[in-house]
Amino acid sequence: MEVVTNKNDAERKIASQSNHSPWALARKKFIRNKLAMVSLSFLMLLSLLSILAPYILNVDIARVDFLNINLPPSSEHWFGTDSNGRDVFARTLYGGRVSLLIGLASTLCVTLIGTIIGAIAGYVGGKIDQFLMRLTDFVLTFPFTVFVVVLNTILIGKVSGVWTLIMVISLLSWGGTARIVRSKILAEKENEYILAAISVGCSPFKVIAKHLLPNVASTIIVQASLLMAVMIVVESSLSFIGFGVPADTPSWGNMLSEARNSDVLQNKPWIWVPPCLAITFTILSINFVGEGLKDAFNPKSNR
Amino acid sequence: MLQYTIRRLLGMIPMLLLISFVVFTLAKMMPGDPFGGEIDPTRTDPKYIEEMREKLGYNDPIYVQYWRWITKFLQGDFGISTTHKMPASEIIMERIPNTLLLAVTSLVITYVFAFFMGMYAGRKPYTISDHVIAGYNYIALAVPSFVAAIVAIYFFSFKLNLFPYSGSVAIGLQPGTWEYYVSRLHHVALPALVLGLMSTASYTQFLRNDIIENSRKDYVRTARAKGVKESKIYNKHILRNSMIPLVTFLGFDLVTLVSGAVITETIFTYPGLGQLFLQSVATRDYAVVMSITMLLSIFTLLGNLIADLLYGIVDPRIRLE
Repeated sequence: MEVVTNKNDAERKIASQSNHSPWALARKKFIRNKLAMVSLSFLMLLSLLSILAPYILNVDIARVDFLNINLPPSSEHWFGTDSNGRDVFARTLYGGRVSLLIGLASTLCVTLIGTIIGAIAGYVGGKIDQFLMRLTDFVLTFPFTVFVVVLNTILIGKVSGVWTLIMVISLLSWGGTARIVRSKILAEKENEYILAAISVGCSPFKVIAKHLLPNVASTIIVQASLLMAVMIVVESSLSFIGFGVPADTPSWGNMLSEARNSDVLQNKPWIWVPPCLAITFTILSINFVGEGLKDAFNPKSNR
Repeated sequence: MLQYTIRRLLGMIPMLLLISFVVFTLAKMMPGDPFGGEIDPTRTDPKYIEEMREKLGYNDPIYVQYWRWITKFLQGDFGISTTHKMPASEIIMERIPNTLLLAVTSLVITYVFAFFMGMYAGRKPYTISDHVIAGYNYIALAVPSFVAAIVAIYFFSFKLNLFPYSGSVAIGLQPGTWEYYVSRLHHVALPALVLGLMSTASYTQFLRNDIIENSRKDYVRTARAKGVKESKIYNKHILRNSMIPLVTFLGFDLVTLVSGAVITETIFTYPGLGQLFLQSVATRDYAVVMSITMLLSIFTLLGNLIADLLYGIVDPRIRLE
């Protein structure tokens, strides 16, 4: 008896789902995921505040004000001021602009490079695949932090600071994405619809772009969302040790680097606690959104 | 197995050659002179500098310079450090034990904590304690280790005064004495705890999921049917199978730890390789920068090899061809 009801349930489920595209299904599942939705709203609010910071705050963040250094939080300066007399609240929002921009831009670059290389390697195969995969292995063997520091030292001053970092990070970290995309494409291209597409005369570019990529897109999106969290950590840790964004640009990592001064660390927690919290909550939210997306795209999970 | 290892080691040679090209090119592109260690900076006479440059081979073609560097490097001659005025190899050798001590201690901490948390969560999945452990892991995954380090220094060094926040040993202790070793452990404890506790997440969740998966398998049902005690099923039958995948993380983890040392060591002003590297970049001490970059790349390759080999050793189902 139980078996029968289960089967009926399953059939009804299939029937009710049959008029939705996989994307619509995933969206529905994602919206039902409370944690992911709260995280997403938090991220959107934070981005909005950061983007609008220059318009809503009437503070000059670059101006050094020696009369107001190291002030504890007050009604005038919500989070206090730092050792150069700059408002910490305003700098946290401005820092969000830079940190989120770097996170987003380098994620996009990495995903683009990784997808192109992975897709070509997986689809074409043979010699080209071998060459591209050796190249990927090669990029993956570089100790990441060490090479970023070296490259950044060379390039700094030649390209505008923030973009140097984005370029350097992207150049060194597309390996993982390329590997994942390649393995997905390898599995997907065995399907008959690909054979059909080739047999009606689709060019390789069209097969990859129109038939293969939409079917591996969910994996790429999940990977990219988790990558963005990594990128924000990379930016802030590099800026923290003084080899990331130029010191005069406010970013969360640059703000935290003030905590390397033990007097600031010990006695003036209002200077370093806001960027700490901003980084932590941003990454936590991105991870939750990523997990939510993973769940939403997984047809086997029925949360 | 031996054949596979040898083939992999041989396969590393072209990789290392390519990396050495890249390192050399980068060093040449960096602002300043990469081999200036032997020029006496107090003598500014242009004739002297020109003479030294000629003598050190600055005016040779680039491939001659590369060849000289790489052959010397392979013989263990890393050049002369500009800031320290001594062979780069000596300075690096001085720092390696510190970095290794930190890496090994934090690995041990990670393994011990992940082992117990994973076992507990896997045995009692979907209970409150499982959720608490999962929640901890989410936070540990989200908090970057350098943020955790700042907070840890603030609380444990400044507020509670439990751990020192800089250096690797207290000043004035004689190497070899008991106090010396205790002091070293005391100095390494906080960075190692921060690094170790922040990276338990993947291990714990992996072990937990594996235990849950294994506990539904036939051999567990057989053991239960035989009347084996539940604790024995978990601690012996399942654990042996679930431990396997954990071992394979070791190689990758060593790599992340050593590469990540650059950041941790800077925060704790711990005199290891990473801190030396950053100081050398800042002071344009190229002999040291190049050597450390090469050493860490070699280390990464070896770490990956170890990971692959361990995979084959612990899981006989995987044949390395």
